Amino acid sequence: MRSSRKSWLLISAALLIVSGAAYGSGFALFEQGAKATAMGGAFAATADDPSAIFYNVAGIAQQRKAEFLVGGTAINFSNEFRGDPSDPLTSGTTGRYRAHTFIPPNAYFVLPVGSNLTFGVGVMTPYGLRTNWAEPWVGRFISRDANIKVLSVEPAVAWQTSDGRFALGVGAEYRRSHVVLNRNNAAFNPFNGQISDTANAYLNSDWDSAWGWNAGLLFKPSDAFRVGLAYRPGMTIDYKGSAHFTQIPTNTPLDVLVASQLPPDQGIATSINYPAVLSGGIATSAIGHGWDLEADVTHTTWSRFKSLDVSFATTTALNFTRAENWKDTYSYRIGANKKASENWDVRFGALYDQNPEPAEVVGPLLPDSDRIGVSFGVGYHHGPWVLDLTEFALHFKNRSTNVSSDNFNGSYKTDANLISINFGYRF
Amino acid sequence: MTRIRSFARIAAAAVLVAALAVPSFAARGSADFTRFVAIGDSYGAGFEAGSLNQTHQPFGWPAIIARQVGLQICPPTASATDNCFAIPLISNPGLPGGELVFNGSTLVTVPGSGVPLMLGFGRPYNNLSVPGYTVGAVQALTGAEPTSGLGQVILRGLGTEVQQAIALHPTFIAIWIGGNDFLGAVSAGDPTKLTPPATFAAQYKAMLDALTAGAPNAGMVLGTLPANFATSPLTSRLPAVVFDQNFQPVIVGGNQIPLFYLPAGSNTPAPVPPGSIFLLSSLSRYQQGFGLPPNLKAVPPFSLLPHTGEPLTDAEIITPAEQKVFSDTITAYNATITSEASARQIPLADIKGLFDRLLQPQLFGGVGLTNTWISGGLFSNDGVHLTDIGYTLFANEYIKAINSGYGTQIPLASVAATFQNNGQFTGFGDNKGYAIVSPEAAEAMTSILNSASVPAPLPPRRRANH
Repeated sequence: MRSSRKSWLLISAALLIVSGAAYGSGFALFEQGAKATAMGGAFAATADDPSAIFYNVAGIAQQRKAEFLVGGTAINFSNEFRGDPSDPLTSGTTGRYRAHTFIPPNAYFVLPVGSNLTFGVGVMTPYGLRTNWAEPWVGRFISRDANIKVLSVEPAVAWQTSDGRFALGVGAEYRRSHVVLNRNNAAFNPFNGQISDTANAYLNSDWDSAWGWNAGLLFKPSDAFRVGLAYRPGMTIDYKGSAHFTQIPTNTPLDVLVASQLPPDQGIATSINYPAVLSGGIATSAIGHGWDLEADVTHTTWSRFKSLDVSFATTTALNFTRAENWKDTYSYRIGANKKASENWDVRFGALYDQNPEPAEVVGPLLPDSDRIGVSFGVGYHHGPWVLDLTEFALHFKNRSTNVSSDNFNGSYKTDANLISINFGYRF
Repeated sequence: MTRIRSFARIAAAAVLVAALAVPSFAARGSADFTRFVAIGDSYGAGFEAGSLNQTHQPFGWPAIIARQVGLQICPPTASATDNCFAIPLISNPGLPGGELVFNGSTLVTVPGSGVPLMLGFGRPYNNLSVPGYTVGAVQALTGAEPTSGLGQVILRGLGTEVQQAIALHPTFIAIWIGGNDFLGAVSAGDPTKLTPPATFAAQYKAMLDALTAGAPNAGMVLGTLPANFATSPLTSRLPAVVFDQNFQPVIVGGNQIPLFYLPAGSNTPAPVPPGSIFLLSSLSRYQQGFGLPPNLKAVPPFSLLPHTGEPLTDAEIITPAEQKVFSDTITAYNATITSEASARQIPLADIKGLFDRLLQPQLFGGVGLTNTWISGGLFSNDGVHLTDIGYTLFANEYIKAINSGYGTQIPLASVAATFQNNGQFTGFGDNKGYAIVSPEAAEAMTSILNSASVPAPLPPRRRANH
């Protein structure tokens, strides 16, 4: 059936699309340490806890005591979709995410050697998220649930000059990732005159990986000023996985036809080009009274994410290329850490994060938008113990599209709330 | 004949009114849907696959517009004073009979017929559309005449479509009429059955004169007529050459073989001219051999058919010359409609453009629909009338015209209303359950739905009731 074949092809329109609605633009996660997060992520010129392995690896040179820092971020987000009243599919329809709490973890260990060198290893989740729509969802033929998980392990080393004014660091990142996409197929059912859901496609990749690196430098021209620069180049992860097709009965004779045309479970392959990230920051303690302020700009080369190509091992007619054409983005961050007392620090931050996604690609898989965030956190340290706790509210600008390449126009209102916590022990 | 009672003014409250017109948009009247009436034909009535029934009547384009402006469709128990949009509901399987349905191997008619459910409704229906009516009929037939067809149950002898529309003191009048002025001629392959353009123009003008005089403050909307033979399956599904079970032309010696027909006024069968149209309604006769040229009488499998070598009639073929007459006539009709709309400041829905666009797949968020017969989703099984989905797209053209003309923001109707699974998803699991169908039927069904062929005869061609 011509329209059925077309809709099978449309299934592959975004088979392994990475989910998003994330907190570092696109599907990046910039929340890899509670202290940095409390400062709006403006940490490249501060980088003074082991999470520097993520934010600016040169910063671990400042750690002259061995330290463990472990923690995670609990992320809840909500999304409200409203159909476009000029769209003959979505007009009058709504949708929202299922409630879910995501908890990307982080863990770092640093070990100074001598007076100039520090080694470290970190476990981080620099990318990830999930768009999981509550049923019934009118966009289910594009995506019901899309999920990307990334876990990185990074050994690192940094060196600083004897006066501590200049530090250089480098790390090797082993990035492992796993993607899932779940969507339904539909067709016009000539037996009941309706559009019937006919099958479900569940695509699930293995945990696939690639190696990358990152580098940073930290320069303190004076006691009151610091400059930091951190660079993590792009990388590509090639995924292999499986597609599982399950028929959805319509209880009409169409089911016989669907059964005969249902693709067999089979292998799939795709790849994702991750962006390069360059962060630069300037920090100062010049205003005194225990205040330390920083401002950062981050540039992310999302233009590496030009298209998504998916191939099927058996039913090659399902192979598809989906144009993404993302744009490079900037994010702007400011943060402050105030030493409130001997044991307590108070932190504030704010950020503005551009989104890389052109309007043609805004849709159920990844409804991204520019974001504004404000953060507040506290740090407690007593003896060897460290506790950082941060609350971060992220608001996405209302994003709408009327040029959807999925023929699915409407508006998305996303908000996220993040709570970060880290525990540390200094030896 | 029932005495027409005087109708009480219907209360205006409690009906969502799309914003009143701002004069600067220059459309006549205002987009006030307090008393919304529709004048039309089978498309307006929600006629599908040869039947008018309560399952699909709510998908006639006037009913879809009514829902989008916030009106409720009257239940059969409604009273004349209820604030609702009344359509003349007919119980399933419908009138004049049941729908033409696809049972897995062939098209069959659902047996039996339905009854009108609201004959005693105390005022004219809001949707006065009657299948088969022309521009002349909406001003001439009251439902009491023997030629009234379904007007008997829709107009009920109370007055013509135009008269009953005016009697409702409408605040908004939507009209789509004129299709039957050419459809009867097209489906009979006979240009002499066309309403002459001058007659059409006079009648169309008279209809609008009557409506604007009877409801001078009413907002209005009109629509152009489709002019594309390639769109509807009736005129596009079959090639006019010998074809196989998959509707693919049979090639002999590198050539296609024209069908044979008896031109009007001739006793000598002739090959149909290249570029002719072979009407879908004659498929079952073709499957008995009619139209296959005599030299195939000895050639299997054509030799097995009882009527190979006998010509089709002129009525079953639309030659290029006839197509030109039809096209020129529809062009003239559209010129009338367009100039009347412009002169009277009535917004005009681009139905002609819609039908041109329906040649391309219509894509919605992962679903694709086409004009393919039976399986495409836009046209119902009779090859002429639309499906619920098709009528939704039709109504949306009207809504766009109203929004454009009156500055309103009526939301388009969503085809999601036709999704089978609109409720909570029951999941899919491993249940590959399907209805029990014989292997032959399954094979036939696969063949049909992959290439829209019909391996078994259609039921005999019924008198067209559009």
